[in-house]
Amino acid sequence: MKSITGLNAKLALLLVVLALLSLLPGRAGWLLPWNLQGNDAELARLIFWELRIPRLLLALLVGAALGLAGAVLQGLTRNPLAEPGLLGVSSGAAFGAVLAIYTGLGAAFALAIPLLGFTGALLGTMLTLALGAGGGVLSLILAGAAVSGLLLAGTALVLNLAPNPYAAYEISHWMMGSLADRGWAQLFLAAPFVFAGIGVLFTTGRALDALSLGEQQAASLGVDLARLRRQVVVGTALAVGGATAVTGTIGFIGLLAPHLVRAAVGHEPRRVLWPAALAGALLLLAADVATRLLPLAQELKLGVLTGLIGSPFFLWLVWRMKARSP
Amino acid sequence: MIPLAARGLVVRREGSEILRGIDLDAQGGEFIAVIGANGAGKSTLLAALAGLLRIDAGEVLLDQRPLADIAPRDLAQLRAWLPQNPRAEWPLSVERMVALGLGPRLRGFGEAGPEEQARIATVLADTDLIALRARAVTTLSGGELARAMLARALVADPAVLIVDEPLAGLDPQHAWDAARRMRALAVEQGRLVIASIHDLNIALRRATRVWALHEGRLLADGPPATTITAALLGELFGMRAEIRGSGSSAYVDFAP
Amino acid sequence: MPLFRHPRFLLPLLACACAAAAAAEPPRRIVSLNLCSDQLLLELVAPERIASLTWLSRTDGEPALRVLAARLPSNRGSAEEVLAARPDLVLAGRYTTSTTRALLRRVGIPMLEIDAVQDWEGIRRVTREVAAAVGEVARGEALIAQMDAQLATTATLRVSTPVRAIGWSGAAEDVPGRDTLFDTILTTAGAVNIAAQPVGGSGFDLERVLRQRPRLLLRGTAHDGDRAVRSWAANHHVLQALPGLSVLEYSEGAWACGVPRAAAHALELARALRALPEPAQ
Repeated sequence: MKSITGLNAKLALLLVVLALLSLLPGRAGWLLPWNLQGNDAELARLIFWELRIPRLLLALLVGAALGLAGAVLQGLTRNPLAEPGLLGVSSGAAFGAVLAIYTGLGAAFALAIPLLGFTGALLGTMLTLALGAGGGVLSLILAGAAVSGLLLAGTALVLNLAPNPYAAYEISHWMMGSLADRGWAQLFLAAPFVFAGIGVLFTTGRALDALSLGEQQAASLGVDLARLRRQVVVGTALAVGGATAVTGTIGFIGLLAPHLVRAAVGHEPRRVLWPAALAGALLLLAADVATRLLPLAQELKLGVLTGLIGSPFFLWLVWRMKARSP
Repeated sequence: MIPLAARGLVVRREGSEILRGIDLDAQGGEFIAVIGANGAGKSTLLAALAGLLRIDAGEVLLDQRPLADIAPRDLAQLRAWLPQNPRAEWPLSVERMVALGLGPRLRGFGEAGPEEQARIATVLADTDLIALRARAVTTLSGGELARAMLARALVADPAVLIVDEPLAGLDPQHAWDAARRMRALAVEQGRLVIASIHDLNIALRRATRVWALHEGRLLADGPPATTITAALLGELFGMRAEIRGSGSSAYVDFAP
Repeated sequence: MPLFRHPRFLLPLLACACAAAAAAEPPRRIVSLNLCSDQLLLELVAPERIASLTWLSRTDGEPALRVLAARLPSNRGSAEEVLAARPDLVLAGRYTTSTTRALLRRVGIPMLEIDAVQDWEGIRRVTREVAAAVGEVARGEALIAQMDAQLATTATLRVSTPVRAIGWSGAAEDVPGRDTLFDTILTTAGAVNIAAQPVGGSGFDLERVLRQRPRLLLRGTAHDGDRAVRSWAANHHVLQALPGLSVLEYSEGAWACGVPRAAAHALELARALRALPEPAQ
C-alpha cells in the first residue's frame, strides 16, 4: 500500500516540476521572467497567459486522459498491447472531428466538434471490441487496425467531398497531432468531455481487478461484465474523443504510460490507473517540450514525435510477447 | 449450513439439451464429487448451480431462494466458484490475487483493512502459501497455483464452494492433498463443496457423496461406497470396470 | 517559386499563336486551368470567348470577378473536361498535371503555360504574353496602364515609416515569406513583411509572430471562412488582447495571383496603413 502512494507522490512531484519548467521555453525563445522589462514584460505576460498556460493545462489533461484510457483498455482486454490509438478510438475521434469541421457544423456550434469526436470515438471503440475481443492477443490489434482503416477511409471521404479545396492539405497537418497555438477556448471546449471521461474511467478499477482472474471468475465475484464494457467504451470515447477533437491524433501515450508504471504497482489493474494518468501527463508534457526545443526548421508535430518513439516500443512489445508465448 | 437445490434444471445450447431436467438437494457438510464422461454436462451443471449460466427451465435455489432473485454481489459472498484451469492474466503476487476474492466485500475505493488482511493471512496459512505470498502467480507450479486459487475462493468465507476439475493436471500427491483439503472444508468447517472429479479413486475414498452425470441426466446420487459400482461405471464410461478391495482400501480397476 | 518554363516548347507555340492571332481569328474557345490565368482571362476577353474556367475562380478568386466567373462553365482541371470544351487555346499554370499537358500536346491543342510571378515587372510580362496569345493586345496594355497608375498613387499614399506586418492565417506553415507576391504588395504599400527577414528557421507559430511585434496582422480568408482547422488559431483570443496590433482580412486567392489587379490590392493596403491607429508608446 505504501509503495503506491509513494509512487503517485513521486510522479506528481515530477509533474509539477516539469510543468513549471515547461513554461519557460518556446520556439521563439525562452521567457525568463527575470529578463523582461516594460513592453517586453507585457507581451511576455500575454504570451504566458494566453498561449503557454493553456497549452500546459491541455498537455496535462490530454496526457492524463490518454494514459488512463490506455490503462483501462489494457485492463479490460487483459492485453498490454491495447491503447486508444491502436483500437480505433483515435481514428474514430478524428473522423468525427473532421466531419464537424468541414461540414461547417463546428463553425456554427463549437461544441459540435468534441461532441462528434466523442461519437466517432464511441463508434470506433464499439466496433473494435465487438470484432476483436474474445480472440487471442493479436486479434484485438487486428480488429483495431481494420476499424482504424475504415475510419480513415471515412475521413478521407469527408475531405474529398469538402467544399474547402485545401481541406486535405490542412488536415494532413492536423492529424499529426499538436498542442501549438491552442488557447483557453480549446481547453474549455475539450475539458468537460475529458473530465467526464476520466471520471467514468476511474470507476472501473475494482471490476478490472476482478477481471484479472478471467471473465468467468469475475462474473462469479459479482462483476457485471456488460456494464463494465459500457463504462469503458463510454469513458474512453469521452476522454479520447474530447481530447482528439482539439489536438488531433496523438498515439502511443496510452500504450507507454501504463507499461512504465505497471511493474511498480504489482500489475494490479486498479492500482495502475492513477500512476498511468500521471505518467501519461508527464510523457505528453515532456514530448511537447521536446517539440519546442528541437532545433528543426518546422516545429515537429507532437503526434509525429510520440509515433517515432512509440512505434519501435510497440514493435518491441509485440516481439517480446511472441517470444514468450508457446 | 446453507442448502442448495435444483428443480427440473434444463439447459439448452445451440439446439441441444445439455442438462435434461436435474433434481438434486445438497447442504453444508457434504463433499460431493460429480463424476461422468467428458461431455456429460458436468461443467454446465456446476456453472448452473453457481448461477453463471442462463437456465432454460427449472430453477436453482440457494438457501431456498431462487438464484435469479439474489443480487450478484450477495451471491458472490455466499458461494465461490472456480473454473477449469483457472489462471490470472497479470503476474500479481499470490497475496494480492487472493485478496481479489474479497472484492465483493470491499466498497468503493477502500483498500483491505486490518480485518481483511488477517483473513488473507489465515487463508494463506490454511493453504500452505505463506512462504509464497509475495511470488508472482505466473511463476507458480501447477499444485501451488491450484492452492492459490482455492485460497482466493475461500478468503471470502463462502458457505458453498463449487469447483470445476480442481485436480486436473496435479500429480498424485497434490491431487490427494487437494481432496483432503476439500473434505476438511466440508466435514470440519461445514461448507458445501461440490467438485467435478475424474479420479474415481479419490471420489471413492474422499467424497461424502457422489453425483453421476450421464448425457445430461443424474444417473445416480448417493454415498460413494454404494453408488460407485461396476455397473454404474460401465454405463458412464462404456468400459468394463471392477471395484476391488473394500472399505477404505477400495479402488477402481478398469479393464480396457 | 517561379515555374520552370520550357522555352523550346513555348516559343514556337507563342509564335504560332501570335501568328494565328495576327493573321487569322483570335481564339474563341479559351479554357483556363489555373486560378490566376482565370483572373487574367476574365479581365482580358469577352465572356463569350471563355469556354471554361476553374471552379476556384467562383469561390477563391478576386471578389469582384466571382459573379462573372459563376456564370461561366467551370472545370476541375481534368483532361476530359478540357477536351469536352473543344478549346482552341488552353491556359495552364504550375499545378496543371503533366498528364493533361502531355495529352494536349499530343492532340495538338495550343497551350500557354503561365509563370507564377512575384513582382510588377513580371506581371507586366505575363499580361502581355497572355494578351498576345488571346488576341487582345490593346486590352492588355490598358490593364497594365491602369496598374501603373495605381502603383503611382500608391507611391504617393505610402506612409513614411514602413509598418511591421505579417500574414498569419492560423497555420505556422502558411506564413508568406520573401519572394512572394504578398511580400511585393506589402512592400509597395509601405509595410515590411516580418516573415521576409529570416529569423532563424521558418515556421511562424503564434508566439513567434507576436514576439516580432507586428503592428498589422493580415489574416487570410479562403472562401470557406471558419470551415477549417486553422480558424481556431487564426481567431486566437490573444490577437484581440494584444494592444497595438491591428488585424485586417484579405483574400488569399486574390492576393496570390500575379495579375494587374494586384496593384489595386497594394493601393487598398496603402490606404489601410494610413488609417491604422497610432501605436501606443
